[in-house]
Amino acid sequence: MKNNRLIYLIKGELIRLHKYKVTTISIFIAIIWSVLLFFVEGDIFNSLLPVLILVDATTMSFMYIGSVMFFEKKESTMSSMLVTPSKDSELILAKILSNTIHNFLSTALIITVFVILKDVQISYLLIAIAVILVTLYHTSIGLLLSYYQKDFTTMLMSVMLISFALLIPTVLFMLNVLTGDIWEYILLINPIQSANIIITQSFKPITLDWKYYFSLGYLIISGLLIYRFLVLRNFKNYAVSISGV
Amino acid sequence: MANIFEVKDLKFKYKTNQENVLKGINFQIKEGEIFGFLGPSGAGKSTTQKIIIKILENYQGNIFYKGKDLKDYKQDFFEDIGVSFEMPIHFSKMTAMENIRFFQNLYKKKADVERLMKRVGLWEDKDKMVAEYSKGMKIRLNIVRALLNSPTMLFLDEPTNGLDPANAKILKDLIREFKVSGGTVFITSHIMADIDQLCDRVAFIVNGEINVVDTPRNLKIKYGERRIKIEYKENNKIVEKLFSMEDLGKNKEFLNTIKEKDIETIHSGETTLEDIFIKVTGVTLDEKQ
Repeated sequence: MKNNRLIYLIKGELIRLHKYKVTTISIFIAIIWSVLLFFVEGDIFNSLLPVLILVDATTMSFMYIGSVMFFEKKESTMSSMLVTPSKDSELILAKILSNTIHNFLSTALIITVFVILKDVQISYLLIAIAVILVTLYHTSIGLLLSYYQKDFTTMLMSVMLISFALLIPTVLFMLNVLTGDIWEYILLINPIQSANIIITQSFKPITLDWKYYFSLGYLIISGLLIYRFLVLRNFKNYAVSISGV
Repeated sequence: MANIFEVKDLKFKYKTNQENVLKGINFQIKEGEIFGFLGPSGAGKSTTQKIIIKILENYQGNIFYKGKDLKDYKQDFFEDIGVSFEMPIHFSKMTAMENIRFFQNLYKKKADVERLMKRVGLWEDKDKMVAEYSKGMKIRLNIVRALLNSPTMLFLDEPTNGLDPANAKILKDLIREFKVSGGTVFITSHIMADIDQLCDRVAFIVNGEINVVDTPRNLKIKYGERRIKIEYKENNKIVEKLFSMEDLGKNKEFLNTIKEKDIETIHSGETTLEDIFIKVTGVTLDEKQ
Protein backbone atom coordinates (compact mmCIF):
# COMPACT_ATOMS: atom_id res chain seq x y z
CA MET A 1 0.00 0.00 0.00
CA LYS A 2 2.83 2.36 0.98
CA ASN A 3 4.60 2.32 -2.40
CA ASN A 4 1.32 1.89 -4.21
CA ARG A 5 0.07 5.09 -2.64
CA LEU A 6 3.02 7.10 -3.97
CA ILE A 7 2.47 5.66 -7.44
CA TYR A 8 -1.23 6.35 -7.11
CA LEU A 9 -0.57 9.96 -6.02
CA ILE A 10 1.80 10.48 -8.97
CA LYS A 11 -0.86 9.14 -11.30
CA GLY A 12 -3.40 11.51 -9.73
CA GLU A 13 -1.05 14.47 -10.20
CA LEU A 14 -0.46 13.55 -13.87
CA ILE A 15 -4.22 13.29 -14.45
CA ARG A 16 -4.72 16.71 -12.89
CA LEU A 17 -1.89 18.20 -14.98
CA HIS A 18 -3.89 16.98 -17.95
CA LYS A 19 -7.29 18.11 -16.63
CA TYR A 20 -5.99 21.56 -15.75
CA LYS A 21 -4.49 21.86 -19.27
CA VAL A 22 -0.87 22.13 -18.07
CA THR A 23 0.09 19.16 -20.26
CA THR A 24 -1.59 20.72 -23.29
CA ILE A 25 0.28 23.97 -22.72
CA SER A 26 3.64 22.23 -22.34
CA ILE A 27 3.13 20.18 -25.53
CA PHE A 28 2.08 23.35 -27.33
CA ILE A 29 5.24 25.15 -26.13
CA ALA A 30 7.40 22.16 -27.19
CA ILE A 31 5.85 22.27 -30.68
CA ILE A 32 6.45 26.04 -30.96
CA TRP A 33 10.11 25.57 -29.96
CA SER A 34 10.46 22.71 -32.44
CA VAL A 35 8.99 24.78 -35.29
CA LEU A 36 11.19 27.79 -34.47
CA LEU A 37 14.37 25.74 -34.23
CA PHE A 38 13.55 23.88 -37.42
CA PHE A 39 14.31 27.05 -39.39
CA VAL A 40 17.58 27.71 -37.58
CA GLU A 41 20.68 26.29 -39.21
CA GLY A 42 24.27 25.33 -38.40
CA ASP A 43 26.17 26.62 -35.39
CA ILE A 44 23.28 28.69 -34.11
CA PHE A 45 21.11 25.58 -34.02
CA ASN A 46 23.84 23.61 -32.25
CA SER A 47 24.15 26.24 -29.54
CA LEU A 48 20.42 26.97 -29.26
CA LEU A 49 19.19 23.40 -28.72
CA PRO A 50 21.06 22.87 -25.39
CA VAL A 51 19.89 26.32 -24.22
CA LEU A 52 16.32 25.38 -25.08
CA ILE A 53 16.59 22.11 -23.17
CA LEU A 54 18.11 24.04 -20.26
CA VAL A 55 15.26 26.58 -20.22
CA ASP A 56 12.70 23.77 -20.43
CA ALA A 57 14.25 21.89 -17.52
CA THR A 58 14.82 24.94 -15.30
CA THR A 59 12.46 27.87 -15.84
CA MET A 60 9.59 25.78 -17.16
CA SER A 61 9.91 23.46 -14.16
CA PHE A 62 9.39 26.48 -11.90
CA MET A 63 6.38 27.51 -13.96
CA TYR A 64 4.66 24.13 -14.04
CA ILE A 65 5.08 23.33 -10.37
CA GLY A 66 4.08 26.92 -9.54
CA SER A 67 0.87 26.61 -11.53
CA VAL A 68 0.03 23.28 -9.85
CA MET A 69 0.60 24.72 -6.39
CA PHE A 70 -1.48 27.81 -7.07
CA PHE A 71 -4.34 25.76 -8.53
CA GLU A 72 -4.34 23.78 -5.30
CA LYS A 73 -4.13 26.94 -3.23
CA LYS A 74 -7.12 28.39 -5.09
CA GLU A 75 -9.21 25.27 -4.48
CA SER A 76 -7.88 24.62 -0.95
CA THR A 77 -7.59 20.94 -1.84
CA MET A 78 -4.46 20.61 0.26
CA SER A 79 -6.59 20.45 3.41
CA SER A 80 -8.33 17.32 2.10
CA MET A 81 -4.95 15.77 1.34
CA LEU A 82 -3.69 16.57 4.84
CA VAL A 83 -6.42 14.45 6.45
CA THR A 84 -5.74 11.35 4.35
CA PRO A 85 -3.25 8.63 5.35
CA SER A 86 -0.73 10.06 2.85
CA LYS A 87 2.58 11.17 4.36
CA ASP A 88 3.98 14.66 3.73
CA SER A 89 6.92 13.10 1.88
CA GLU A 90 4.52 11.16 -0.38
CA LEU A 91 2.55 14.29 -1.19
CA ILE A 92 5.71 16.26 -2.04
CA LEU A 93 7.41 13.45 -3.96
CA ALA A 94 4.24 12.89 -5.97
CA LYS A 95 4.33 16.53 -7.05
CA ILE A 96 8.06 16.58 -7.79
CA LEU A 97 8.08 13.26 -9.64
CA SER A 98 4.92 13.90 -11.67
CA ASN A 99 6.25 17.30 -12.69
CA THR A 100 9.55 15.68 -13.66
CA ILE A 101 7.83 12.98 -15.73
CA HIS A 102 5.67 15.61 -17.40
CA ASN A 103 8.60 17.93 -18.14
CA PHE A 104 10.80 15.04 -19.27
CA LEU A 105 8.19 14.00 -21.83
CA SER A 106 7.93 17.51 -23.32
CA THR A 107 11.74 17.76 -23.53
CA ALA A 108 11.89 14.27 -25.04
CA LEU A 109 9.42 15.45 -27.66
CA ILE A 110 11.71 18.33 -28.68
CA ILE A 111 14.79 16.08 -28.75
CA THR A 112 12.99 13.37 -30.76
CA VAL A 113 11.87 15.93 -33.34
CA PHE A 114 15.46 17.08 -33.90
CA VAL A 115 16.99 13.62 -33.82
CA ILE A 116 14.61 12.68 -36.65
CA LEU A 117 14.63 15.94 -38.63
CA LYS A 118 18.13 17.32 -38.07
CA ASP A 119 20.08 14.21 -37.16
CA VAL A 120 21.16 15.64 -33.80
CA GLN A 121 23.93 13.55 -32.26
CA ILE A 122 23.20 13.02 -28.61
CA SER A 123 23.71 10.41 -25.90
CA TYR A 124 20.18 9.35 -24.94
CA LEU A 125 21.31 8.07 -21.57
CA LEU A 126 23.24 11.21 -20.61
CA ILE A 127 20.55 13.62 -21.79
CA ALA A 128 17.89 11.60 -19.95
CA ILE A 129 19.97 11.73 -16.75
CA ALA A 130 20.60 15.45 -17.24
CA VAL A 131 16.99 16.41 -17.94
CA ILE A 132 15.61 14.30 -15.08
CA LEU A 133 18.15 15.57 -12.57
CA VAL A 134 17.86 19.24 -13.58
CA THR A 135 14.05 19.05 -13.60
CA LEU A 136 13.96 17.32 -10.21
CA TYR A 137 16.27 19.97 -8.79
CA HIS A 138 14.43 22.97 -10.18
CA THR A 139 10.99 21.56 -9.43
CA SER A 140 12.07 21.28 -5.80
CA ILE A 141 13.25 24.90 -5.87
CA GLY A 142 9.98 25.90 -7.55
CA LEU A 143 8.02 24.09 -4.85
CA LEU A 144 10.01 25.88 -2.18
CA LEU A 145 9.46 29.25 -3.90
CA SER A 146 5.72 28.66 -4.04
CA TYR A 147 5.67 28.31 -0.23
CA TYR A 148 6.57 31.96 0.12
CA GLN A 149 4.65 33.60 -2.74
CA LYS A 150 1.14 34.96 -2.43
CA ASP A 151 0.08 34.27 -6.01
CA PHE A 152 1.31 33.01 -9.36
CA THR A 153 2.21 36.51 -10.64
CA THR A 154 4.46 37.16 -7.65
CA MET A 155 6.02 33.75 -8.21
CA LEU A 156 6.70 34.60 -11.88
CA MET A 157 8.41 37.82 -10.81
CA SER A 158 10.54 35.94 -8.28
CA VAL A 159 11.49 33.29 -10.84
CA MET A 160 12.58 35.98 -13.29
CA LEU A 161 14.57 37.83 -10.64
CA ILE A 162 16.29 34.66 -9.43
CA SER A 163 17.03 33.46 -12.97
CA PHE A 164 18.39 36.90 -13.86
CA ALA A 165 20.54 37.03 -10.73
CA LEU A 166 21.92 33.54 -11.43
CA LEU A 167 22.59 34.32 -15.05
CA ILE A 168 24.50 37.59 -14.46
CA PRO A 169 27.77 36.01 -13.23
CA THR A 170 27.72 33.47 -16.07
CA VAL A 171 27.19 36.19 -18.68
CA LEU A 172 29.88 38.42 -17.11
CA PHE A 173 32.30 35.49 -17.23
CA MET A 174 31.45 34.78 -20.86
CA LEU A 175 32.03 38.49 -21.66
CA ASN A 176 35.40 38.36 -19.88
CA VAL A 177 34.29 40.93 -17.33
CA LEU A 178 35.01 38.31 -14.69
CA THR A 179 38.35 36.74 -15.46
CA GLY A 180 40.53 34.05 -13.93
CA ASP A 181 40.23 30.32 -13.29
CA ILE A 182 38.75 30.93 -9.87
CA TRP A 183 35.50 32.09 -11.49
CA GLU A 184 35.27 28.85 -13.43
CA TYR A 185 35.04 27.05 -10.08
CA ILE A 186 32.86 29.60 -8.32
CA LEU A 187 30.33 29.62 -11.14
CA LEU A 188 29.77 25.89 -10.79
CA ILE A 189 27.98 26.60 -7.51
CA ASN A 190 25.31 28.25 -9.62
CA PRO A 191 22.78 25.43 -10.26
CA ILE A 192 21.88 26.85 -13.68
CA GLN A 193 25.56 26.70 -14.66
CA SER A 194 25.84 23.13 -13.39
CA ALA A 195 22.65 22.23 -15.26
CA ASN A 196 24.07 23.81 -18.42
CA ILE A 197 27.24 21.73 -18.14
CA ILE A 198 25.54 18.36 -17.76
CA ILE A 199 23.12 19.12 -20.59
CA THR A 200 25.77 20.46 -22.99
CA GLN A 201 28.12 17.53 -22.38
CA SER A 202 25.35 15.08 -23.33
CA PHE A 203 25.75 16.10 -26.95
CA LYS A 204 28.21 14.17 -29.10
CA PRO A 205 31.15 14.03 -29.27
CA ILE A 206 31.04 13.03 -25.62
CA THR A 207 33.96 14.30 -23.56
CA LEU A 208 33.02 14.18 -19.91
CA ASP A 209 35.44 16.40 -17.95
CA TRP A 210 35.74 17.06 -14.21
CA LYS A 211 33.21 19.84 -14.48
CA TYR A 212 30.60 17.31 -15.62
CA TYR A 213 31.18 15.04 -12.63
CA PHE A 214 31.34 17.97 -10.22
CA SER A 215 28.09 19.42 -11.59
CA LEU A 216 26.39 16.03 -11.45
CA GLY A 217 27.49 15.45 -7.85
CA TYR A 218 26.70 19.03 -6.87
CA LEU A 219 23.15 18.88 -8.22
CA ILE A 220 22.49 15.48 -6.61
CA ILE A 221 23.85 16.40 -3.17
CA SER A 222 22.53 19.95 -2.95
CA GLY A 223 19.21 18.79 -4.41
CA LEU A 224 18.82 16.14 -1.71
CA LEU A 225 19.73 18.67 1.00
CA ILE A 226 17.25 21.22 -0.37
CA TYR A 227 14.52 18.55 -0.48
CA ARG A 228 15.20 17.22 2.99
CA PHE A 229 15.88 20.41 4.94
CA LEU A 230 13.86 23.04 3.12
CA VAL A 231 11.11 21.53 0.97
CA LEU A 232 10.03 18.71 3.29
CA ARG A 233 10.62 20.54 6.56
CA ASN A 234 8.53 23.58 5.59
CA PHE A 235 5.79 21.70 3.76
CA LYS A 236 3.39 21.18 6.67
CA ASN A 237 3.37 24.86 7.66
CA TYR A 238 2.79 25.85 4.07
CA ALA A 239 0.08 23.22 3.52
CA VAL A 240 -1.78 24.32 6.66
CA SER A 241 -1.49 27.99 5.66
CA ILE A 242 -3.02 27.39 2.21
CA SER A 243 -5.54 24.79 3.33
CA GLY A 244 -8.14 27.50 3.90
CA VAL A 245 -9.66 25.75 6.91
CA MET B 1 -19.54 4.82 27.41
CA ALA B 2 -15.75 5.04 27.15
CA ASN B 3 -14.03 8.24 26.10
CA ILE B 4 -12.86 8.21 22.50
CA PHE B 5 -11.14 11.59 22.93
CA GLU B 6 -9.78 13.14 26.06
CA VAL B 7 -8.42 16.68 25.91
CA LYS B 8 -6.53 17.92 28.95
CA ASP B 9 -5.34 21.48 29.54
CA LEU B 10 -4.98 22.18 25.83
CA LYS B 11 -3.18 25.43 25.02
CA PHE B 12 -2.22 26.74 21.62
CA LYS B 13 -0.67 29.90 20.23
CA TYR B 14 -0.22 30.81 16.58
CA LYS B 15 3.25 32.09 15.74
CA THR B 16 1.84 35.45 14.69
CA ASN B 17 -0.19 35.91 17.89
CA GLN B 18 1.02 37.08 21.25
CA GLU B 19 -1.77 35.49 23.23
CA ASN B 20 -2.85 31.87 23.41
CA VAL B 21 -5.85 31.10 21.21
CA LEU B 22 -6.69 28.15 23.44
CA LYS B 23 -6.17 28.79 27.13
CA GLY B 24 -6.10 25.37 28.74
CA ILE B 25 -9.31 23.69 27.65
CA ASN B 26 -10.55 20.33 28.93
CA PHE B 27 -13.23 18.07 27.50
CA GLN B 28 -13.99 14.44 26.68
CA ILE B 29 -15.87 12.97 23.74
CA LYS B 30 -17.63 9.70 24.52
CA GLU B 31 -17.69 6.85 22.07
CA GLY B 32 -20.89 6.86 20.03
CA GLU B 33 -22.05 10.37 20.90
CA ILE B 34 -22.55 13.51 18.85
CA PHE B 35 -20.52 16.21 20.54
CA GLY B 36 -21.22 19.83 19.64
CA PHE B 37 -18.56 22.49 19.93
CA LEU B 38 -20.11 25.94 19.93
CA GLY B 39 -18.73 29.40 19.94
CA PRO B 40 -18.64 32.71 18.11
CA SER B 41 -16.17 33.40 15.29
CA GLY B 42 -12.61 33.45 16.54
CA ALA B 43 -13.43 31.65 19.80
CA GLY B 44 -11.09 28.76 19.05
CA LYS B 45 -13.50 26.18 17.55
CA SER B 46 -11.62 25.60 14.31
CA THR B 47 -8.23 25.71 16.02
CA THR B 48 -9.39 22.98 18.42
CA GLN B 49 -10.66 20.87 15.53
CA LYS B 50 -7.43 21.37 13.56
CA ILE B 51 -5.43 20.19 16.57
CA ILE B 52 -7.47 17.08 17.25
CA ILE B 53 -7.39 16.06 13.59
CA LYS B 54 -3.58 16.44 13.65
CA ILE B 55 -3.37 19.34 11.19
CA LEU B 56 -1.91 21.69 13.81
CA GLU B 57 0.95 20.55 15.98
CA ASN B 58 3.07 22.21 18.68
CA TYR B 59 0.25 22.43 21.19
CA GLN B 60 0.61 22.23 24.94
CA GLY B 61 -1.39 19.83 27.06
CA ASN B 62 -2.47 16.27 26.38
CA ILE B 63 -4.83 14.72 23.89
CA PHE B 64 -5.71 11.05 24.01
CA TYR B 65 -7.49 9.21 21.22
CA LYS B 66 -8.76 5.77 22.19
CA GLY B 67 -6.51 5.96 25.24
CA LYS B 68 -3.31 6.62 23.31
CA ASP B 69 -1.50 9.96 23.06
CA LEU B 70 -2.49 11.63 19.79
CA LYS B 71 1.17 12.47 19.18
CA ASP B 72 1.97 8.74 19.05
CA TYR B 73 -0.40 8.20 16.13
CA LYS B 74 1.08 8.29 12.66
CA GLN B 75 -0.81 8.23 9.37
CA ASP B 76 -2.96 5.31 10.54
CA PHE B 77 -4.98 7.86 12.56
CA PHE B 78 -6.41 9.18 9.29
CA GLU B 79 -7.68 5.71 8.35
CA ASP B 80 -9.95 6.02 11.37
CA ILE B 81 -11.43 9.49 10.89
CA GLY B 82 -13.45 11.43 8.34
CA VAL B 83 -13.32 15.21 8.06
CA SER B 84 -15.69 17.61 6.39
CA PHE B 85 -14.42 21.18 6.28
CA GLU B 86 -16.74 24.16 6.25
CA MET B 87 -15.89 25.22 2.73
CA PRO B 88 -16.44 22.75 -0.08
CA ILE B 89 -13.07 21.34 -1.12
CA HIS B 90 -12.78 19.42 -4.37
CA PHE B 91 -10.80 19.41 -7.60
CA SER B 92 -13.21 21.51 -9.64
CA LYS B 93 -12.07 20.28 -13.05
CA MET B 94 -12.71 16.67 -12.16
CA THR B 95 -16.10 15.01 -11.89
CA ALA B 96 -17.63 14.27 -8.50
CA MET B 97 -16.93 10.57 -8.97
CA GLU B 98 -13.32 11.17 -10.05
CA ASN B 99 -12.83 13.25 -6.90
CA ILE B 100 -14.38 10.58 -4.68
CA ARG B 101 -12.49 7.69 -6.30
CA PHE B 102 -9.20 9.59 -6.08
CA PHE B 103 -9.54 10.18 -2.34
CA GLN B 104 -11.04 6.77 -1.61
CA ASN B 105 -8.08 4.94 -3.09
CA LEU B 106 -5.82 6.56 -0.51
CA TYR B 107 -7.53 4.53 2.24
CA LYS B 108 -7.50 0.87 3.16
CA LYS B 109 -11.15 0.80 4.26
CA LYS B 110 -13.68 1.73 1.59
CA ALA B 111 -17.34 2.64 2.02
CA ASP B 112 -20.04 1.96 -0.54
CA VAL B 113 -19.79 5.19 -2.53
CA GLU B 114 -22.84 4.48 -4.65
CA ARG B 115 -25.02 4.18 -1.55
CA LEU B 116 -23.58 7.39 -0.08
CA MET B 117 -23.97 9.35 -3.30
CA LYS B 118 -27.57 8.14 -3.65
CA ARG B 119 -28.24 8.97 0.00
CA VAL B 120 -27.25 12.62 -0.50
CA GLY B 121 -28.98 12.82 -3.87
CA LEU B 122 -25.86 13.21 -6.01
CA TRP B 123 -25.78 9.88 -7.84
CA GLU B 124 -27.49 11.28 -10.94
CA ASP B 125 -24.90 14.07 -11.11
CA LYS B 126 -21.88 11.91 -10.33
CA ASP B 127 -20.30 12.45 -13.74
CA LYS B 128 -20.66 16.22 -13.71
CA MET B 129 -17.60 18.43 -13.20
CA VAL B 130 -17.56 19.72 -9.63
CA ALA B 131 -17.20 23.24 -11.10
CA GLU B 132 -20.78 22.81 -12.37
CA TYR B 133 -22.12 21.89 -8.93
CA SER B 134 -24.10 24.34 -6.80
CA LYS B 135 -22.80 25.23 -3.34
CA GLY B 136 -25.34 22.87 -1.75
CA MET B 137 -24.20 19.99 -3.97
CA LYS B 138 -20.55 20.67 -3.12
CA ILE B 139 -21.35 20.63 0.61
CA ARG B 140 -23.16 17.29 0.21
CA LEU B 141 -20.16 15.96 -1.72
CA ASN B 142 -17.99 17.09 1.21
CA ILE B 143 -19.91 14.75 3.50
CA VAL B 144 -19.50 11.85 1.07
CA ARG B 145 -15.80 12.67 0.96
CA ALA B 146 -15.67 12.49 4.78
CA LEU B 147 -17.46 9.12 4.88
CA LEU B 148 -15.72 7.32 2.02
CA ASN B 149 -13.32 5.43 4.30
CA SER B 150 -16.05 4.22 6.70
CA PRO B 151 -14.55 6.21 9.60
CA THR B 152 -15.26 5.51 13.25
CA MET B 153 -15.10 9.22 14.06
CA LEU B 154 -16.44 12.08 12.00
CA PHE B 155 -15.42 15.73 12.28
CA LEU B 156 -17.84 18.21 10.78
CA ASP B 157 -17.18 21.93 10.55
CA GLU B 158 -20.42 23.90 10.10
CA PRO B 159 -21.96 20.97 8.16
CA THR B 160 -25.28 22.61 7.27
CA ASN B 161 -24.02 26.13 6.64
CA GLY B 162 -25.29 27.28 3.24
CA LEU B 163 -27.75 24.41 2.78
CA ASP B 164 -31.48 24.83 2.18
CA PRO B 165 -33.76 23.17 4.79
CA ALA B 166 -34.40 20.07 2.64
CA ASN B 167 -30.71 19.37 2.07
CA ALA B 168 -29.87 20.27 5.66
CA LYS B 169 -32.37 17.60 6.75
CA ILE B 170 -30.73 14.98 4.49
CA LEU B 171 -27.40 15.79 6.05
CA LYS B 172 -28.70 15.72 9.60
CA ASP B 173 -30.37 12.37 8.96
CA LEU B 174 -27.08 11.05 7.58
CA ILE B 175 -25.27 12.21 10.73
CA ARG B 176 -27.87 10.47 12.92
CA GLU B 177 -27.54 7.26 10.85
CA PHE B 178 -23.77 7.43 11.31
CA LYS B 179 -24.27 7.66 15.06
CA VAL B 180 -26.76 4.78 15.09
CA SER B 181 -24.19 2.64 13.23
CA GLY B 182 -21.78 3.20 16.14
CA GLY B 183 -19.89 6.26 14.93
CA THR B 184 -18.82 9.25 17.00
CA VAL B 185 -19.27 12.81 15.72
CA PHE B 186 -17.59 16.09 16.60
CA ILE B 187 -19.44 19.11 15.22
CA THR B 188 -18.39 22.72 15.32
CA SER B 189 -21.16 25.12 14.48
CA HIS B 190 -22.78 28.38 15.26
CA ILE B 191 -26.23 27.19 14.10
CA MET B 192 -27.90 26.39 17.41
CA ALA B 193 -31.00 24.72 16.00
CA ASP B 194 -28.87 22.02 14.32
CA ILE B 195 -26.82 21.48 17.43
CA ASP B 196 -29.97 21.25 19.52
CA GLN B 197 -31.45 18.63 17.19
CA LEU B 198 -28.30 16.55 16.76
CA CYS B 199 -26.02 16.69 19.77
CA ASP B 200 -25.93 14.51 22.84
CA ARG B 201 -23.63 16.95 24.59
CA VAL B 202 -22.36 20.42 23.83
CA ALA B 203 -19.41 22.54 24.88
CA PHE B 204 -19.42 26.34 24.79
CA ILE B 205 -16.10 27.95 23.94
CA VAL B 206 -15.43 31.67 24.16
CA ASN B 207 -12.07 33.43 24.06
CA GLY B 208 -10.25 30.10 24.06
CA GLU B 209 -11.95 28.87 27.21
CA ILE B 210 -14.71 26.31 27.67
CA ASN B 211 -17.45 27.61 29.95
CA VAL B 212 -19.87 24.72 29.95
CA VAL B 213 -20.07 21.09 28.83
CA ASP B 214 -23.43 19.38 29.25
CA THR B 215 -26.40 17.86 27.42
CA PRO B 216 -28.77 20.31 25.69
CA ARG B 217 -31.58 18.96 27.87
CA ASN B 218 -29.73 19.60 31.14
CA LEU B 219 -28.77 23.06 29.99
CA LYS B 220 -32.36 23.89 29.12
CA ILE B 221 -33.57 22.68 32.49
CA LYS B 222 -30.80 24.47 34.31
CA TYR B 223 -31.07 27.77 32.49
CA GLY B 224 -34.71 27.69 31.42
CA GLU B 225 -37.54 29.23 33.41
CA ARG B 226 -39.63 26.64 35.26
CA ARG B 227 -42.98 27.98 34.22
CA ILE B 228 -45.90 27.25 31.94
CA LYS B 229 -47.44 29.86 29.66
CA ILE B 230 -51.07 29.32 28.63
CA GLU B 231 -52.99 31.33 26.06
CA TYR B 232 -56.76 31.08 25.83
CA LYS B 233 -59.65 32.94 24.27
CA GLU B 234 -62.07 34.91 26.43
CA ASN B 235 -64.55 37.48 25.17
CA ASN B 236 -62.88 37.41 21.76
CA LYS B 237 -59.56 38.36 23.32
CA ILE B 238 -56.40 36.31 23.82
CA VAL B 239 -55.52 36.00 27.49
CA GLU B 240 -52.03 34.91 28.60
CA LYS B 241 -51.32 33.35 31.97
CA LEU B 242 -48.09 32.16 33.55
CA PHE B 243 -47.84 29.36 36.11
CA SER B 244 -44.90 28.12 38.11
CA MET B 245 -43.99 24.48 37.44
CA GLU B 246 -43.61 23.84 41.15
CA ASP B 247 -46.56 21.71 42.35
CA LEU B 248 -48.30 22.35 39.06
CA GLY B 249 -50.65 19.42 39.55
CA LYS B 250 -51.92 21.00 42.80
CA ASN B 251 -52.29 24.50 41.38
CA LYS B 252 -56.05 25.02 41.34
CA GLU B 253 -55.96 28.07 39.10
CA PHE B 254 -53.93 26.14 36.52
CA LEU B 255 -56.20 23.09 36.73
CA ASN B 256 -59.32 25.22 36.40
CA THR B 257 -57.86 27.12 33.48
CA ILE B 258 -57.10 24.04 31.41
CA LYS B 259 -60.43 22.53 32.37
CA GLU B 260 -62.66 25.48 31.69
CA LYS B 261 -61.00 27.74 29.18
CA ASP B 262 -60.75 27.50 25.44
CA ILE B 263 -56.96 26.87 25.35
CA GLU B 264 -55.06 28.01 22.27
CA THR B 265 -51.43 27.33 23.24
CA ILE B 266 -49.44 25.84 26.10
CA HIS B 267 -45.68 26.35 26.36
CA SER B 268 -43.14 25.36 28.96
CA GLY B 269 -40.50 27.96 29.78
CA GLU B 270 -37.68 26.10 28.05
CA THR B 271 -35.13 28.44 26.69
CA THR B 272 -33.17 28.04 23.47
CA LEU B 273 -29.54 26.97 23.34
CA GLU B 274 -28.72 30.36 21.86
CA ASP B 275 -30.21 32.14 24.89
CA ILE B 276 -28.33 29.78 27.18
CA PHE B 277 -25.13 30.45 25.28
CA ILE B 278 -25.58 34.20 25.72
CA LYS B 279 -26.42 33.73 29.39
CA VAL B 280 -23.40 31.52 30.06
CA THR B 281 -20.80 33.29 27.97
CA GLY B 282 -22.05 36.85 27.86
CA VAL B 283 -21.55 37.08 24.10
CA THR B 284 -23.75 36.44 21.09
CA LEU B 285 -22.75 33.82 18.54
CA ASP B 286 -22.21 36.40 15.82
CA GLU B 287 -20.00 38.56 17.99
CA LYS B 288 -16.47 38.79 16.69
CA GLN B 289 -13.61 38.50 19.08
